Parts: sequence; C-alpha cells; structure tokens
Amino acid sequence: MNHSVQPISIDHAKQISDVLETLETILLGKRDQLEMSVACMLARGHLLIEDVPGTGKTTLAQALGVCMGLDWKRVQFTSDLLPADIVGVSVFNNQTQQFDFREGPAFTSVLLADEINRAPPKAQSALLEAMEERQISVDGATYPLPDEFFVIATQNPVEQLGAYPLPESQLDRFLVGISLGYPDPATERQLMQAGDRRASINNLQAVANKTQLQQWCLEADATHASDAIYDYIQALLLRSREGNSGLSSRAGLSLVRLSKSLAYIGGRDHVLPDDVQRAFPALAGHRLTGRVSSGKAAAMDILNSVPSP
Amino acid sequence: MKWFKRKPNMDNSAIRLDQRTLYALSALLLLSQLPHVMHLPIWVSMLGAGIVAVKLWVHHRASAVGHFILSPIGMSAIALGGAVLVRAHYGYFMGRDPCVAFLFILVSAKFAEVRKPSDSTLLLCLAGFLLLTQYFYSQSILSALITLPAVLALGNALAVIRDSSNAPSTKNNLRMVGKLLLQGAPLAALLFVVFPRLPGPLWSLPDDATAKTGLSDSMAPGSIGSLSRSDEVAFRVEFKGAPPPTNQRYWRGPVMSNFDGQRWTVQESAARVRVTGAGKPNTTHYTVMMQPNHQKWLFALDHPTSLPMSVAADTNDSRVLAQMTTDLQLKSDKSITRVTRYSQTSSLSDSFKPPVRPQASLTQLAGNNPKAVAFATKLRAESKTNTDYANALLDHFNKNNFHYTLQPTLLGDNPVDDFLFSTRNGFCEHYASAFVVLMRAAGIPSRVVTGYLGGEMNGNYMIVRQSDAHAWTEAFLNGKWVRFDPTGAVAPSRVDTNMAAALGDGEPVPMMARAGNGWLKRIKLGIDEMNHDWQRLVVDFNNESQYRIWEKLGLPRLKLWQITVLVLMITGLWCLVVLGFPLARGVNMSAEDRLWFRYTNLLKRFGIERASTETPHEFIERASLALPEVSAVQTLGQDLVTLRFKRLDESESKELGASIRHKLNGLYFRHLLKAR
Repeated sequence: MNHSVQPISIDHAKQISDVLETLETILLGKRDQLEMSVACMLARGHLLIEDVPGTGKTTLAQALGVCMGLDWKRVQFTSDLLPADIVGVSVFNNQTQQFDFREGPAFTSVLLADEINRAPPKAQSALLEAMEERQISVDGATYPLPDEFFVIATQNPVEQLGAYPLPESQLDRFLVGISLGYPDPATERQLMQAGDRRASINNLQAVANKTQLQQWCLEADATHASDAIYDYIQALLLRSREGNSGLSSRAGLSLVRLSKSLAYIGGRDHVLPDDVQRAFPALAGHRLTGRVSSGKAAAMDILNSVPSP
Repeated sequence: MKWFKRKPNMDNSAIRLDQRTLYALSALLLLSQLPHVMHLPIWVSMLGAGIVAVKLWVHHRASAVGHFILSPIGMSAIALGGAVLVRAHYGYFMGRDPCVAFLFILVSAKFAEVRKPSDSTLLLCLAGFLLLTQYFYSQSILSALITLPAVLALGNALAVIRDSSNAPSTKNNLRMVGKLLLQGAPLAALLFVVFPRLPGPLWSLPDDATAKTGLSDSMAPGSIGSLSRSDEVAFRVEFKGAPPPTNQRYWRGPVMSNFDGQRWTVQESAARVRVTGAGKPNTTHYTVMMQPNHQKWLFALDHPTSLPMSVAADTNDSRVLAQMTTDLQLKSDKSITRVTRYSQTSSLSDSFKPPVRPQASLTQLAGNNPKAVAFATKLRAESKTNTDYANALLDHFNKNNFHYTLQPTLLGDNPVDDFLFSTRNGFCEHYASAFVVLMRAAGIPSRVVTGYLGGEMNGNYMIVRQSDAHAWTEAFLNGKWVRFDPTGAVAPSRVDTNMAAALGDGEPVPMMARAGNGWLKRIKLGIDEMNHDWQRLVVDFNNESQYRIWEKLGLPRLKLWQITVLVLMITGLWCLVVLGFPLARGVNMSAEDRLWFRYTNLLKRFGIERASTETPHEFIERASLALPEVSAVQTLGQDLVTLRFKRLDESESKELGASIRHKLNGLYFRHLLKAR
C-alpha cells in the first residue's frame, strides 16, 4: 500500500509479527491491544488494564511472558496485602545466624498485579517503586530487578467499595492504559467452542528471547521522529493542559517512546503522525481522568482539536 | 381569490418545523422582544411571549385548539384584535408607541405561522427590524447592550436555518457569530469614522401624545413641587470655561405673565426680538444637551444673549433651533422629541434692559386677595422707592416665620391671602406667586419666571434634574427687569446650595437630589457620565466630528468617491487579513511543511479537503482513492511523507524537495488545464 514504508530489517519485523500472531492464537480478536502491549514492553513501560474479570488479563500476561521467553508471576492484590508480600521478606536463618532475603513475586520478568486498586497505598507504592526504579530495597539492601521487568496491573472499573484508587502521580507511571473488553460474538463463540485455553498456553513455545527483546528495545528507541512529530506531541501536551489535569513532561517523553515503538512494530524506521494518534489515547486516557474508559473520550477530544502535521 | 382552492386539511407534518429551527427562532423572538418590555404595555409583551409558548406547546403536543390559534385565521384574528387593543390603549394609532406595539404583535403573529424556510428568513428580517425600533426610545449604552443577545440569536438562527438538519451545535454557532461580529467590528468602526454620515434620521418620528415631562406653560400651587420629586435628568451642560457659581445657575424657561387668581400662564405673543449679544458683561458660552420633554422651551442661563444653535447639524452653518420672545424665552416651533444639542451664550446678571417696554397687563391682578392688596398698599406707602418696597417684601418673607417645604398646606379660594397670612409654608411657586401679586398690587410690572435653579457637576459636565425646577420673579424697576427670588429670602441655601439643603428632614427629596455621596448615587453618576460620553462621542457623531478627525490627522477633506474607494480598499485589505489568516500560517513553516501545505491546498482545488486532524497517511490514501487517475497524487504524497518524517541527510532531503516541487508544479499545471 505505502511505498514509503520500508522495513529496516526484515528480521525484526518478521519476528515481532510472529510474536503477535502467536499471541493472537491465545487472545482472539485483540490484535490492537496486543500490539499496544508489545509496544509498551518495547518502550520499557508498564501496562495498566482496566477490565472486568474474565476478559483475559491473566492470559495476556502469561502469554506475553511465554512468547517472549520470560518468566512471569502473578500477585492478587487484596486489602490486607503487605509490601513484603510483593517484594519479599528477610527471614532469620538459624543455621547461619543471619537474615536471609527471600525474594517475593516481584522478582520476575513479567508481573501480573491483579486488581491493584484493592490493595492499600503502602502495598501499591512498594510495587510502584519497583516499577520506576527497577530495583527493590528491603531492610537497607537493594536488589536489582531484571532489565526487562514488566508489570501488567489490572483494575476493576466497576467495584468501588473498599478500593484504593491509584492517585494521578502513580497512574503516570503506567505507560499505557488499555481495556481488553468483551470479545465480539463470533470470537466469543469460537472461545466457547475451543474450551479452556490453559492447555494451549502451556503448549505455547517461546518465539523470542531475552536478548532479542533487549535488541528490539534499543532499536525501537532509535526510531527516527522528525521535528514535525515533536511539534505535534508538544501541541497535544499543551492542549491537554488547558483542561483540569494536563499531561506531564514524563507523559510527553512516554508518548515519544510509545510512538516510536508502535512505528517499530509497524516495520518503519520513522514515526508517522498515525503512530502518535494511535499511541495518544492509550497513553493519555488513564492520566487525564484516572480511568481508562472515561479517559479515552477526553483523549479523543484533545486529539480531535489539534491539527495533525 | 385563490385561497379557497387550497386543500383545507393540510398535513400536520407540514406545519411542524424541525426542532432546531423552532428553538432558534423562539430564542431569537423572545430576545428581540425583550428590549421592548420596558416601554410597551405589559399585555403586549404577554401576548408576544404567549404566542411563542403556544407555538412550542403545539410543537410538542399536537392540539386542535393550538392548531387553530396558530392557523392563519387565528393569527389574523390576533393581529386584528391587537390593532384594536393598541388603538384603545393609546387612544391614537399614528405614533411611535402604538406603531411599535403593533409591529411587535405582527412579528409575533408571523412567528406563529412560520412553516417554510423562506418564512424563517422573513422572520429574521422582521425580528431585526423590531430590534431596531428599540432605538426610537433610547440610544444609550444599555439599550445597545441589551440588543446584543438578540443579535447573537439572530446569527445563530441564520446558521441554523441554512441547514437545519445538519447544523452545528448552538455553542459552536454562537462562537462563530461572535467571531464574525468581532471581525466585522473594525470595519464598522472604520465606516463609522470615515463614511459620510446621513444627515439626520431618515424618518421623522411622529410627535406622540406621550406624557410631557418638565416645566409646562402654566403654574399652579404644587405644580413645581410635584416636579421636584423626580430626579430625572432635564438636560446636561458643558461649559466653555468655568461653570458659573451655584447662586448664578438660574436656567430660564417659561415666563408667566398672566394670572387668573389660581394659575399663572404664559402670555401668547408672536413678538420676537432680534438678538444682539455683543458687549454684554459676564458672558458665558456653553452647550446644552436637552432630554426630550415634548415641550417647546429651550433653557438658557439667565439671561440668554444668543439664539440656540444646533450643534448636531450636519451642515457647516448650524440651524437656529428657537426664537427669542420679548420676555426672553427661547421657544421652538416644534416640541423637543429627541435629545437636542445646542450651543448657547448667556450674560450672567440679575437684571437686563428689556427690548420693549412692559405692557400694562403686567400690573393686572386677578382673583380675590383683599388682605394681600391691603398689605401691599400699606407697605408701599411706608417705602420710599419701588426698590425699597421690593426689599421690604423680601424682608417680610425672611422675618415672619415663613417656611420652605415640599409638602405645603393646601390653599383655599384666596390662595395668596391664605398663604401670606395663615399657612405661611410653601414651595418656590408659592413664594414667587405671592411676591408678584404683592408687587403688582403696588403697581409695579412684574412676572413669574420658571426654570431650573442649580445643577450638579459630574466630571466635566453639569446635570440639571427635574428636582432642580424652580420659580422666581422679575420686576420692572428703573427701566430694567430685575430678578427677585423670594424663595432665597426664606431659604437662602436653596439658592446657594441646592433644594435638599434647604428642606428639612422628612421631606420627600428624590434620591439623586439628596446631599451627600451615597454609593448608589456615585454609581448612578458614573453611569450617567458614561452615557453622556456615549451620546456625545457616538450618537451625536456627525459630519463635523468626522471632519475634525480628518483635520487632526492632517488629512484633506476627501470627496465622496475618494472615501468610497478608500473604504473599499481598506475593507478588501481587512478581508484579506481575516480570511488569509490561515494562509499566513505558512510563513512560519519549515520548507518541508510548506510543500505539504501546497500539496493539500492543491488537492483542495481538486475537491479533496483535508480535515485538520487527518494524518498525512489517511489523507493521501483518501485522495488517491478519490483521484485514481492522477497517479501523482499518491507518489507525491508518499514522497512528502518521506521528506517530512524519515531520517534523511541534507543532500537527500534537498534532492527530494526539488523533485517534489517539480511534481507539484506539474500537478498544478494539470489542474489549470482541467479548469479550462
């Protein structure tokens, strides 16, 4: 279709589309969200999914981990969750007469934090430190997390009672907010006919590995964004600040990175306004209103009032 | 007579306007009716609002009664009934008020039977006209502001009826109308300053039999007192030089020489005097802006030495507005029905030589006031000269417990006797009347002068209110008319300060005439000053004012055709600025963006317009689908995307830019050929 779009390396485009195709066999009909998740991963951000239970959040986390050749863990956030339940705890060892650190579930590559808004702020912030710094501090010692550490947090948009909604400052740390949503009827039928997909996930083969992922991250970051693109992104940020809650500079930086990743996944070595327009609602939605669902409309409003380059 | 051939039962849906149009028209109608609520009878406004209500009601809930009311028959009946009621209410028909009231009813009736888009357009014009008639009443800032919402509604309605099924939101419409108004404002200002003004109003308003305010041609006990309870503005004055001191601010109005025992009236005389103002002492020049009072007198400081010359005249030589009578009244042929501005000269003195000798009638006495006559005869015998006698009279008022009040005791059949010897309290007209009677009883020619005494400085101009209304006297002594103000003998502060200072507590002094500087009064004075400037600078702006601006700028007087050409040129330039603003954006663009801009503009000529948020990709795809035969559209577009978004080194980008420019020119040429 578009002659100006020339893949920079056939290799990576092919490989990434392999990853996406594999993921699609697990999560049917969610190509867009899958691409956004992978882009989020390549942009070294974290993913927030706002959804009712049973729409495939866990499956997504698991499949992503397996496909990329990474290990994954899951923490169910509850109102009595303690920071130690996430990051780990020092235990006294009788034999060595010393404290041994027992790593918590956070020491993994892909961490699914289920219903993050159900846990009290203290537990939330333990996770958020890990997300931002990619390290964990316990009892004065600092333990680094793997480079590819990737958090998928979910929150339930319906249940409000006994929930601790994430404050704006922390929402800002999630690069992308998406919602998987219910599948369309045809897909749903297919889902029901296929039965439980746990087995198929277990049979899933890794399509990539850690080294490749790191390479992709570097390459995605090197994607070219022209002045026109930066102008456009700045205009979007400015427009968002005319409202009640504007987007931070961190959000602007994230928008650049996410747009680059999307361009990279699309097999291009340069960012197009289309990438920015695609990235913007996913990035700005939860930051603007605190909710993915309502934020998307606000983000679209901004997008529709700023001329594209 | 074709009307009976029409199908009697038209489809109801034909009568139903679509909702957007209906609401827009309703809002417009109500808002253009709003300014009239103040001066039309309440039932007219209720009728107007009622018709809108019925129309909306019928729109939402079909009802036979409602349909009948809104049918041409029902509306004709309402219009006819309205005409009859208006005639009954005012007692006449050919005048400003009844005509505006009738127009109001007709426009409302037209709204009731609006069905087609063409009807809506007509209604817009009618509403605009109805809005204009508001200026027959007042041209103040407030009345200009109150029409603004209606103007916005008018613009909104225009935008809605243009394409009612697909109209943008009201908010957007209003924003657009506001923008258009703002864009038009500089042009309006330019035309206002530059374009020749039409001399005078195009129409002349009929002289309504409306309630006359201000001093009239007769004076009875209580008539000035009741006038003094109003703080309405009588006129405003601008002085060339310092304003006269408070006790010299006698504004001469109707002069009353005839007395029937109860009532003083103006002597009807056709005699006019020629005015030679030269060589008079203590001359002051000023400009008066008189509020319409539907009377014929113009006011001047005592005594006038010139004829009032209109300042708002559109010709070089200004018009004489009134003649001077032998008793130095300034009397116009026509009633003052609109704000009138005239320049005037006066000599500030309390005596003047008469142009003609006083008539014998000026010593005539009427009515039955035996005690007063006896008192006068006695006192005259005790005084050496007439002047001594007059001073003795003032002394009498001063020393015998006379009282100055706005609420005097009612007088009987011998008002002067009653007043002088029993009640001894009264307002200025009582004192003036009694003084003249006493003077005449002693055989001295004298008369009552009514007018205003006082005036309050507000910024650089003076406000004279109805509450300043006053009556004083003149007596013919030693070949001169000398002013005597008996009120001053009783209440000196009336002359030296104002009415409020002279009256005791508990008198019904109107708010604006009160002493002190309450915040409300300050605000009102501030508003008055604003309106005064508005009247002076905007409403009274005329050819003369225009020429003055030209002169100040050092420009020669231009001929009409020169002005026309100038205005057209500036208008053209302004339109370029306003319309070309989006084009001008290109100036700040990078070279790549400018090429892209040229590309989108070129495609616009092919009929493909880019939405502002459309990405280049989407646009190119859409354009190449719409113009499959022009392959350059796609290749050019992709080159542009490459140029603008890919990483290129300088030479590559230069080369690509040149090739794009080449292709763009080719495409443009192709468009020109196609246009042929």
